Amino acid sequence: MTTTDKPAQESTLGSPSPDEPGAQTLTLSVGPQHSGSGHMRLIVELDGDIIINAEPDPGYVHRGIEKIIELRNIIRSIPVIERPSIIDASNLNHAWVKAIEELQGVEPPARGQYLRCLLNEMNRIMSHLYWLSIYGVFLGHTTMFMWPLGDRELFIDLAESLTGARITYSYLVPGGVRRDLPQGFAEEAIKRTEYFEKRLDEYENIFFKNPLFTSRAKGVGVLSRQRAIELGATGPTLRGSGVDADLRKDEPYAAYSELDFKVHTRPDGDSYSRVMVHVDEMRESSQLIRQILEKMPSGPVRRKAPIVVPRGEAYGRVESARGECSFYMIGEGGDKPYRARYITGSYRNMAAISAVLQGVRLADMPTSWWSIDYWPVEADR
Amino acid sequence: MSLSHEREDNLIKTLKENFPTDIKDATVMRRSRINVTVAPEKILDIALFLRDKLGFDHPTGVSAVDYNRESRFEIVYHLASIANPAQRDILINLKESVPRNTPKATSLVRIWPGVENFERESIEMFGLQFEGHPRPEKLFLNDNWDGPPPMRKEVRFPTD
Amino acid sequence: MSAQKPAQSDDPIELLADSMNVWVGKLSDIVHKVIDTEPIRNVINWARMYSLWPVNITTACCSAEFGAASGARHDLERFGVLPYGSLRQSDLIVIEGTITKKMAKRLRMIYDQMAIPRYVIAMGDCAISGGLFHDSYSIVNGAHEFLPVDVFVPGCPPRPEALEHGIIMLQEKIRNSKVYPQS
Repeated sequence: MTTTDKPAQESTLGSPSPDEPGAQTLTLSVGPQHSGSGHMRLIVELDGDIIINAEPDPGYVHRGIEKIIELRNIIRSIPVIERPSIIDASNLNHAWVKAIEELQGVEPPARGQYLRCLLNEMNRIMSHLYWLSIYGVFLGHTTMFMWPLGDRELFIDLAESLTGARITYSYLVPGGVRRDLPQGFAEEAIKRTEYFEKRLDEYENIFFKNPLFTSRAKGVGVLSRQRAIELGATGPTLRGSGVDADLRKDEPYAAYSELDFKVHTRPDGDSYSRVMVHVDEMRESSQLIRQILEKMPSGPVRRKAPIVVPRGEAYGRVESARGECSFYMIGEGGDKPYRARYITGSYRNMAAISAVLQGVRLADMPTSWWSIDYWPVEADR
Repeated sequence: MSLSHEREDNLIKTLKENFPTDIKDATVMRRSRINVTVAPEKILDIALFLRDKLGFDHPTGVSAVDYNRESRFEIVYHLASIANPAQRDILINLKESVPRNTPKATSLVRIWPGVENFERESIEMFGLQFEGHPRPEKLFLNDNWDGPPPMRKEVRFPTD
Repeated sequence: MSAQKPAQSDDPIELLADSMNVWVGKLSDIVHKVIDTEPIRNVINWARMYSLWPVNITTACCSAEFGAASGARHDLERFGVLPYGSLRQSDLIVIEGTITKKMAKRLRMIYDQMAIPRYVIAMGDCAISGGLFHDSYSIVNGAHEFLPVDVFVPGCPPRPEALEHGIIMLQEKIRNSKVYPQS
């Protein structure tokens, strides 16, 4: 962390007029080597220890993915488009195949749709758990770092038995999914989700009701409903500000129209609301996994789809763990897209960081911005 | 899924009635996806109408596309609606074309503050210029890339 | 920027100090040699092996697996690896994935500020050769281009077990190394 005094001559301690606005502000550059920053830098302007302005400085993980996927065929691009958020790989993969299928006019078989939803919901839990563990680190709560990461391994094992990889699955392909359920998957999944829900109750006791957490989250970093909408925030950030927008309900894709679930919102828009939206969503996803396994029809999991992007435009959008992830794809008839625009949830939520951090104390900065669930790798692409 | 596009057609009708000359093209791409191509000098009025009268208050992104064969850039604003729950699934692609040699467009940050970062990205990736943009600086490419705007079609990188 | 000193001082105390410096230098060479012999070296290397504190720097997506490796099931702390906030007190950089040009500058700055001995593990294919992104305009194809790398851990991303193996390899390397690196 380096400190630089902004107006060089005014920042000395003997400054004549401390009441003058801006006379005593200090600009801090937090990150990228900082325990509260992640893969990015925040340029924070302080008055005392109150943040008056915060600017994210992204680009530390900008890998030019939009250019790369213009140069590779659509199947070889799947691992690349997963990488921005490997803790949420399946949902990003879903947006990609959805855009391609919209152009091709291919509809996957019903069992394939259910399997997609299954992995999506498992991924949502894994991603939220990873996020929660880092939230614990930022709060200095080591138990909350260890527990979610340990429970995340339950679902990682399940996903590994289904797809063969721990976190980067490349499981969804145009026309369906790569493989069917392994033997004994359903029983194991039901056992694990039930255990996980009990664990969430334990989290409740040790963390969500803990004054260590509530006193630093309630009323801190407020993002109003109006501001969240006009800034284009999405996912848990938007729902934490009281907007019941969820693409799984608003524009049901895959098998979500046949599944029964609730969209959880909180009205206050503070750090606490955003955290609790994540927790409610984990419960809902856990319930959804059991429901999917129960309702899953039999039949093939994949339909033949050509490796071609037909001429035309498509906009594939799905609700990923961090909000809406979408591909705006323009095809020319080749095996590569002419242009594939990649808009992720974190990228959209980047605009909310400055809004959330205004007026927050410096000590609450890491938890406040992390409550947005901003994953810099996903934002930079 | 019904095949009729009633809501989409109604939206297009309202738009065409209010801006008969400025809307060059408006089509239903498929269910709940609408493409509207407008004249670049009128985009501010149409955007304001979309936000205030039709309820498209939620910007979901801005894309730029390089049509180098037609010597133009297309700027696409992707808009969704939170205000009107009946059209939550509808996504409007508001398009404008700017010539490739003078890629100047009007910034829509004053209408949707959320498009600021997306427009900044279009500035650095395609070399576009947005008039009225509060911070026309680099977003991702600081220290990363000094060459010509990398997303332009003529910029090639070693492929495999 | 103090005032310039004459090359040869007449001050007897300074003359004495100069000759002392020569002697202290020679003495420290001897001490170094003594410390670098078998029993003492083993103790020092043993201490270094099991307190490898990585810097809090994450470069890209392999950090998810680094997080999983630090977490409950794998728990890197049992190897003495505890992620730590201050780079002055850290010994290790784990480069977690793709290195962009912007990050490469900062990584080098961080490496230069760390105290010797310092070690580098390049985790993931991107940190080894650019991996999936080796075509891209904004990345560095491999950490070895600007840092001396001790251990490469392949995988995209490497499993936590692979990272653990990499750390054990680094510990083996430290066990057999000299106490004072040649400089």
